[in-house]
Amino acid sequence: MEPLVEMKNIRKEFPGVVALENVSFDVMPGEVHLLLGENGAGKSTLMKILSGIYTPTSGCIRVRGCEYDKLTPKLSSQLGISIIYQELSVVNNLSIAENLFVGRLPVKRMIGVLPVVDKKYYMQRAVELAKKVGLTKPVDTLVGDLSISEKQMVEIAKALAVDARIVVMDEPTSSLTSEETNNLFEIIRKLRADGIGVVYISHKMQELREIGDRVTVLKDGNTVATKSMDDVHSENEIISMMVGREVQKEFFSEKPMDYETAEVIFRAEHITRKDLRSNDISFEVYRGEVLGFAGLVGAGRTELMTTIFSGQEYEKGKIYLHGKELPIRSPYHSIQNGIALITENRRETGIFPLHNIKENLVLVKRLLLSKGQGFIGLIHPKADQKIAENQRKQMNIKCSTLDQVITTLSGGNQQKVIVGKWMASEAKLIIFDEPTKGIDIGTKAEMYGIMRSLAEKGVGVIMISSELPELLGVCDRIVVLNEGKLKGTIKIRDASEELILKTATM
Amino acid sequence: MKTRQLSFKVIWGKLGTVAIFIGMLLIFSLFAPATFLTWNNIKQIATQSSTTMLIACGEFFAILVAGIDLSVGSVVALSGMITAKLMVNLGMDVLPAFLIGSVLFGLLLGAINGILINVTNVHPFIITLGTQAVYRALTLILSNAQATFGFPGTFSKFFGGVWNGIPMSVFVALAVAALMWFITSKTTFGRNLYVIGGNRESAWYSGINVKRHILAVHMISGLCAGICGAVLTARLGAAEPNGATGYETSAIAAAIIGGTSFFGGKGTIPGVIIGALILGLISNGLNMCSVPTFYQNLATGLLLIFAVALDTFISRRK
Repeated sequence: MEPLVEMKNIRKEFPGVVALENVSFDVMPGEVHLLLGENGAGKSTLMKILSGIYTPTSGCIRVRGCEYDKLTPKLSSQLGISIIYQELSVVNNLSIAENLFVGRLPVKRMIGVLPVVDKKYYMQRAVELAKKVGLTKPVDTLVGDLSISEKQMVEIAKALAVDARIVVMDEPTSSLTSEETNNLFEIIRKLRADGIGVVYISHKMQELREIGDRVTVLKDGNTVATKSMDDVHSENEIISMMVGREVQKEFFSEKPMDYETAEVIFRAEHITRKDLRSNDISFEVYRGEVLGFAGLVGAGRTELMTTIFSGQEYEKGKIYLHGKELPIRSPYHSIQNGIALITENRRETGIFPLHNIKENLVLVKRLLLSKGQGFIGLIHPKADQKIAENQRKQMNIKCSTLDQVITTLSGGNQQKVIVGKWMASEAKLIIFDEPTKGIDIGTKAEMYGIMRSLAEKGVGVIMISSELPELLGVCDRIVVLNEGKLKGTIKIRDASEELILKTATM
Repeated sequence: MKTRQLSFKVIWGKLGTVAIFIGMLLIFSLFAPATFLTWNNIKQIATQSSTTMLIACGEFFAILVAGIDLSVGSVVALSGMITAKLMVNLGMDVLPAFLIGSVLFGLLLGAINGILINVTNVHPFIITLGTQAVYRALTLILSNAQATFGFPGTFSKFFGGVWNGIPMSVFVALAVAALMWFITSKTTFGRNLYVIGGNRESAWYSGINVKRHILAVHMISGLCAGICGAVLTARLGAAEPNGATGYETSAIAAAIIGGTSFFGGKGTIPGVIIGALILGLISNGLNMCSVPTFYQNLATGLLLIFAVALDTFISRRK
């Protein structure tokens, strides 16, 4: 069988770096081809060459019997290549139908001359496409009102609308619940049955076997291997191909916690939000443990922590840190009392993208040292430098200088800067909301290590994660939420993915 | 190669505005050598620029937090009018009239902007567009659309006079600029503003009381405009109800030409001062070269676009 696309000996150089050395990659009709590799391995670069955003330094791309030494975005889409990025590119204030035909709305002639949009035609076509991807909402619904997984379906339908032969999906399940993930896999199987080639990029090991036909692993700009999934015997085999070493899987303390004698660091009682997305939730964090929060998307984990940290939507409930009751008022008050929240969306709510690493690191500490909630106080460049240097060492932040703008760092290192910022402020309770989202396996392991060592130092550590294996590997106890209610707390000894899911849906 | 380009970018970021300033100085010196580079003319430029400097310093704060203040021109007029009325109609002394009419009312009018922005969550552009009209209308109502004059000589002398050969308004502008420079670069409050402008959400999650800072920013903008009101009134010898119309445009232009990012988070007070001087240079220099006034707007407009486009072009280079 002829491949849909064949990329041969692709090399891509950027000034000073070789992003891809010599990579060959092909996609057959009706297969799901997994593309794996750590961040920086070259996956996105390869896909950007496929979509025509980058021009390869050398090598060629063969599509439909023609050889190209480069593609352009327009040519790539004409050749039936469609890429669904992690940050979806749907337009929120347009309807589903309009989104499917963005930029190429069908035109008819009114009274034989005046060109107008043929709404009837595209609405009808939209209904067909929506049905194909299992989208149940009416096609005139605004996309902004859809859930993330529905938006993703719109993206897929968009690809089908232009008769895509190759669909690339970049970490499509990173913000989906397991049910939504199953739906997505159904759709992918349908695409496969229609002879479409799917390139599937993911960091989630457990999905791969379920969906993949073939796998290509990249490492440092080279192909490590391309093999059929039938020849892959274990997850560890793939992981070691990606990182070149076996990754330690379990991080929780060897010795089970003795909860009878352990000291309570933090206690929350009857936390209730006005919108009831947290409803009467009580829990405590013991010294030396990492407390996990599991739940499907929409379970209210982020909302619970946001309320505790900032007082937003706060209705009732109390919190105690080291036995002392604290007000639930504003981020400033929480921070002053030693509570820190590391948010899920690093780019929107974590980093200061215009500023350098140093400014990012010292900000909170500086705020705490000044008076009047940060109003009155002077800048101390030397002290700042010292704090930043210290955190750079402690957090093992890989940068050439602290004056570098933070956005020049990799996602994992940005995350370390954020943790460092809270460490510098001597936080007593740190809440990590999806701390490993979008960072590579090596740095993930480092994050786990950081959380464990914080716990051992006596800092209260809460970790929200949607990846169960991660929770099972790092936490000592796991609190399970569903629809704003606490469903149960499971000790690591008894915990399993099945039990957590069962507890959540009970 | 890479490091050289990078360092050019860095140097341009720091000194680009200065380069434009020096360039203009050279051009005008060539075209009008006899009149342009004279001590008298330099004083003239400094005096003309001082009002722009004052309001631009305040406008800088508003733009720094990714907002804007369109009401500064009206605040200048209203606070100038109040100061004049306090002295002329109520017979108040110069100092208390200045403190109440210019400083206090400047702060108050700015605080009204800030409170409206915080309470309504409407974009500052809309709010200050509204207060621009409201404050102007209040000025006209208060003055019955008549100019107010006849205030004590000490007032004109202090804000409009000359000390050791240098106009007082220049001292006032530089003193305010120095204070604002200190605030923006040396205090936690000032650094917080850069952070708010860079990423408001992150700032909130990091414990910065964003609303309180926004309020303070607009009070500072109001304060600068209030002081400018006193200076302008003293220089003109009268409080004009229609004075300072369109000043917000110069203030924004000075801040932007001075390297302030319209998207917030970037810029410096020295840059803004040079930006204001550049605007002063253009109008003065073109006068010296006998270019009709209406061409000056053309030049200012083109320079604004050119300066920002050039800056964007350079910072986008890989």
